[in-house]
Amino acid sequence: MTSSRIRNNVRRLRFNASEMTQQELAERVGVTRQTVIAIEGEKYSPSLEVAFRIARVFGVPLEEVFQYEATAP
Amino acid sequence: MSDFSYQEKSILGSLAAMLVVYTYYFGSTLRDLGRREFGNGGLARLVFAVIALIVIEIVYHIVLALESHPEPKDERDTLIESKAYKTAYFFLATGISLLAAGIIVFNTLALHSHEALGTVSAFATVNLILLAMVLAESAKFLTQLFYYRRGLR
Repeated sequence: MTSSRIRNNVRRLRFNASEMTQQELAERVGVTRQTVIAIEGEKYSPSLEVAFRIARVFGVPLEEVFQYEATAP
Repeated sequence: MSDFSYQEKSILGSLAAMLVVYTYYFGSTLRDLGRREFGNGGLARLVFAVIALIVIEIVYHIVLALESHPEPKDERDTLIESKAYKTAYFFLATGISLLAAGIIVFNTLALHSHEALGTVSAFATVNLILLAMVLAESAKFLTQLFYYRRGLR
């Protein structure tokens, strides 16, 4: 069985975007601030739709925000 | 509780209110379980418990809304809630199945016993079903709190 992990650069992208706050990102994406915190802490992998919305807010391709890592145990 | 989200505070409040009200209700009802009928006293106590729970919930959520910023549910909240409903369904189905089996076994034993065991009353049955529902709802709240704290990886 293969275990997977989705990494993200949301925190870095926020700071690069004029230190955008978690609340502002949450409002622009349409989720709660707690969900942004969970995504940044890699405690929650968002749906494809929310992932695309996050990438659109930062104006970058999806792959620059989220990276998929699959590792065999 | 300062690092708790609005949803977590809402769930904690609902869980606490439910446990307080139904602990009082089942505590005072336990001594009446031997009664044969679901009489006026038992029914009045149940109605009082339900109304008390509704009032506590409304007051708590008004205070919570005034003190913290209410946030609408998003996809993470919905996902956590659906996982919690799965746990609640398991508890409810198990509770009702055990209750049904227990009543059948008890009534069968009572029927073939030479001693006057009696049968399980409607009053006891209604309260045991209610207990299963309360346990299922508690399991739902606790599952939600677990996933909010641990995350959904």
